Amino acid sequence: MRTLLRRFAIYLFTAWTTITVNFILPRLMPGDPIQQLIGKLQGRVTPEMIKAIKAQFGQGLNQSMWTQYVHYINQLLHGDLGISITLSSPVSDVLSSQIWWTVGLIGVGAVVSFFIGTALGVLFGWTRGSRADAVIPAATFLQSVPYYFLGTILIMIFAATLHWFPLMGAYDPSLSPEWSWTYIASVLRYGELPLTSIVLSSLAGWMLGMRNMMVTTMSEDFVLMAVAKGLSRRRVMWHAARNAVLPSVANLALTIGLLVSGSLLVEQIFNYPGVGNLLVNAVGNEDYPLLQGIFLLITFTVLGANFLADALYYVLDPRTRTAAVH
Amino acid sequence: MKALRIPRSPKVIVGLVILSVFIVLTVIGPWIAPYDPNANTFIPNLTPSWEHWFGTTTLGQDVLSQLLVGCRVTMVVGFIAGLVATLISIAVGLAAGYIGGRTDEGLSLLANVFLAIPGLPLLIVINSYLPAGSQANPLVVGLVIALTGWAWGARVLRAQTMSLRDRDFVEASRIIGEKRWRIMWSEIGPNLLPIIAASLLFTILYAVGVYSTLAFLGLTNVSTWNWGTMMYWAQSNNAALANEWWWLAPPGVAIALVGTSLALINFGIDEFINPRLRAAGLTARQRRRVGLTRRPRLGFTPVLRQSPTDAKKVS
Amino acid sequence: MSSSDTHLVLQVSNFSVDYGYADEAVRAVTDVSFSLGRSRVLGVAGESGSGKSTLVYGLTRLLRAPGVISAGDVTLRLSGAREGETIDLLAASEDELRAIRWSEISIVMQSALNALNPLHKIGKEFDEVLRVHDASLSKPQRRERAEELLALVGLQPDRLQRYPHELSGGQRQRVMIALALALRPQLVIMDEPTTALDVVTQREIVSELHDLRERLGFALIFITHDLSLLVELADEIMVMYAGRIVERAPALDLYRAPRHPYTLGLMESFPPLTGERVAMTGIPGSPPNLKTPPAGCPFNPRCAHAHDRCLSEMPPLSDIGDGGRSVACWLHDPASPLEVPVSLSRPGESTPGGVK
Repeated sequence: MRTLLRRFAIYLFTAWTTITVNFILPRLMPGDPIQQLIGKLQGRVTPEMIKAIKAQFGQGLNQSMWTQYVHYINQLLHGDLGISITLSSPVSDVLSSQIWWTVGLIGVGAVVSFFIGTALGVLFGWTRGSRADAVIPAATFLQSVPYYFLGTILIMIFAATLHWFPLMGAYDPSLSPEWSWTYIASVLRYGELPLTSIVLSSLAGWMLGMRNMMVTTMSEDFVLMAVAKGLSRRRVMWHAARNAVLPSVANLALTIGLLVSGSLLVEQIFNYPGVGNLLVNAVGNEDYPLLQGIFLLITFTVLGANFLADALYYVLDPRTRTAAVH
Repeated sequence: MKALRIPRSPKVIVGLVILSVFIVLTVIGPWIAPYDPNANTFIPNLTPSWEHWFGTTTLGQDVLSQLLVGCRVTMVVGFIAGLVATLISIAVGLAAGYIGGRTDEGLSLLANVFLAIPGLPLLIVINSYLPAGSQANPLVVGLVIALTGWAWGARVLRAQTMSLRDRDFVEASRIIGEKRWRIMWSEIGPNLLPIIAASLLFTILYAVGVYSTLAFLGLTNVSTWNWGTMMYWAQSNNAALANEWWWLAPPGVAIALVGTSLALINFGIDEFINPRLRAAGLTARQRRRVGLTRRPRLGFTPVLRQSPTDAKKVS
Repeated sequence: MSSSDTHLVLQVSNFSVDYGYADEAVRAVTDVSFSLGRSRVLGVAGESGSGKSTLVYGLTRLLRAPGVISAGDVTLRLSGAREGETIDLLAASEDELRAIRWSEISIVMQSALNALNPLHKIGKEFDEVLRVHDASLSKPQRRERAEELLALVGLQPDRLQRYPHELSGGQRQRVMIALALALRPQLVIMDEPTTALDVVTQREIVSELHDLRERLGFALIFITHDLSLLVELADEIMVMYAGRIVERAPALDLYRAPRHPYTLGLMESFPPLTGERVAMTGIPGSPPNLKTPPAGCPFNPRCAHAHDRCLSEMPPLSDIGDGGRSVACWLHDPASPLEVPVSLSRPGESTPGGVK
């Protein structure tokens, strides 16, 4: 339990660091980006808006850095992330309306690729030395393909040329969001290709990692012991696989950040609603409040996922739970 | 001192060959590019031909020239970021692992924080606050990438240093009173080489990917040619919808090939660090030659009665 | 097989093992023959790299790649419902091997910590072997059996709820022994089961094994580099060097009066378990590289008594007419030009130390 609490403390500290970085960056960056932004915004948005932005970044308030910092944290604790410049509505509202698309697409994509990749890794590790080894170079290449590139190619082949899938978007534009079967079916249909591209591009990494661990684990005595006990092949494989999956789970925490970052771009390619799409637009429009809100949201989500991965490891490996008695 | 000898497997050789090709292109790419990558004077949307090996873009530019010119920036940023990140991770990892105590706690916390924060969103935020001039400067972008990419290597190096610290030969140098930095440099350093090499490959891979992504998002100067900007232009001109594969594919495949070559070399290093991964190494043809009817399976040692060693003895 | 062989559990003849294939093959075990009677204990001794572990893993076909069995025959006599049948282990299919594994032959490895699945409670290890080999046992019956087995090696039933890392080294090795006896196999193989333990625990386990063998009547192959442990336990001892048997004799005879220079060196590497301590001289040098074995007797570079013949000709393992003892050494050849040195020719009565 101590290990888990320790991890939790680290994530809490990381969250605090992120918030602080978020506070400091716009204030300390050379060239005063906020001043420049306000200059550009003059005449484009209402004076109230400019006032709100100034307040958020501490411009013209004559407050000490510390007062601003306390104020900033207080705002965050109340869920106030400021107001989006381009969308003219509170960042928290914008995010809460869009996050479910991202959670649905990337969450499902991550889980599916983890399970398929791990299962394939077990299989290819077990049959090492057979003809199945031929998949390794292909998988290595697939692993190196950028997510957004794979997505683009899939669109080109399967949507633009073969017309098997809809080109882009999250549902048929003639429908409006509602709890109807037609709408849900449309969402699923439109999700197929983006999901495939996420799964395909992250699958290979899990698979190669798991294969390595499987090969390493199979040289352990307890696996040979399982054979010596006269257990069936499937049972021996299970003995090895359960142990081999542990480092994968431990790595899960390290990989979630990379995975989420990569997947965010898939939204941009497919013009799929969600946080990734918002992020790219916020950068393009220099919508700093939205950008910062998204960064905090993504970081906190990744930290949460990390903690879940740690907890899962804790559940799976008895050695983390009990110290040696003797 | 153990030299780093990477097993000469076909994987490593293929990886080294591909990487060398790209390194050569990094040097000579801009010189051998057939045209000016910015010249938009050609017929748009040409499919590959003798004049334009990779065709032309919707804007009437030569794709091959862009690819060759873009190679240099992409690779240089990747290598600079990879080197700087690796240097940071060596410094942090060695210090944390060797000195231990408070230093270790502080540095490990720092590494854990950087590991947990998703790198790309952080980079996007930092990058968007950079003054416009710095955004365009690949060197600055490379350094920022290095800042977000060192933690993984530091963590691995720290663990390895800790395990080395307690080995006999290091203990011995400590007892005879060698200076701390000398022990680190001459006793522990060489034993960390394979891990440093792996972490260098990993961070270069990360940096090439991340830099291309930033460029693809239009966050670097879109008129500096690199593989990411090529895809940025292709994407913003809907190359996918128009089925212009010759425009889309080259930069994406180039990134993937560089990544593959680094990963293949890393296989060799992995096998060096972890001998269990070394292939038990018989192809189907070799098996047939030595008379094995099938792949040796765990727990069912094959029986080959007419062993060649017998034959050798007779002769 | 003649009728007099029915008391034999295992018969091994001309058994050889290679590492690697074809031109790169290295002979790790060469031409080993022996047989093991019911309830008998065979000790196999030698330095690490002498091929003793390769031998037993090869016999059971558990040797990992690139190990290959390159010659010989291994016959196991079956018990229980298949009493009277024999099985050729080298010709057996995977399914046939699976059926006899653990029920007829079980194995105890050097490190119990590595041999036990770290994610399984001890109870699960017992439950698994019992369930897989005897579908008729109910879960409570399996549990009861597991508790009996633990009691056999002096462990409390609550250990079944523990994970391997929660037990001490001695407890783990006792668990392994209990597990090896779970299906009442005819033959138990122990590969340096006590090497990782402290001397006191070693002694305890060896004497427990002695009692268990008396009570349960399994045959045992016990591998060790510590000859003095074997004297307590073994009926017969085989000494291996460079993949060959160099001396084989009844345990006490071998211990009291070694005939091969290597056996003598091996004995001097360890203090006797009881009795006064003598200076440990050991054997100079190290075992030969099997890729490039020396010509003649493989022990010749380290042997104080090597002469011309040893450098060119391999001595065969032959009976030297000393109470069923075989030795592979030219010193004991009737045509030997040298006198057999005193240390290798003394009669069996002079007991070094106080062997019981």
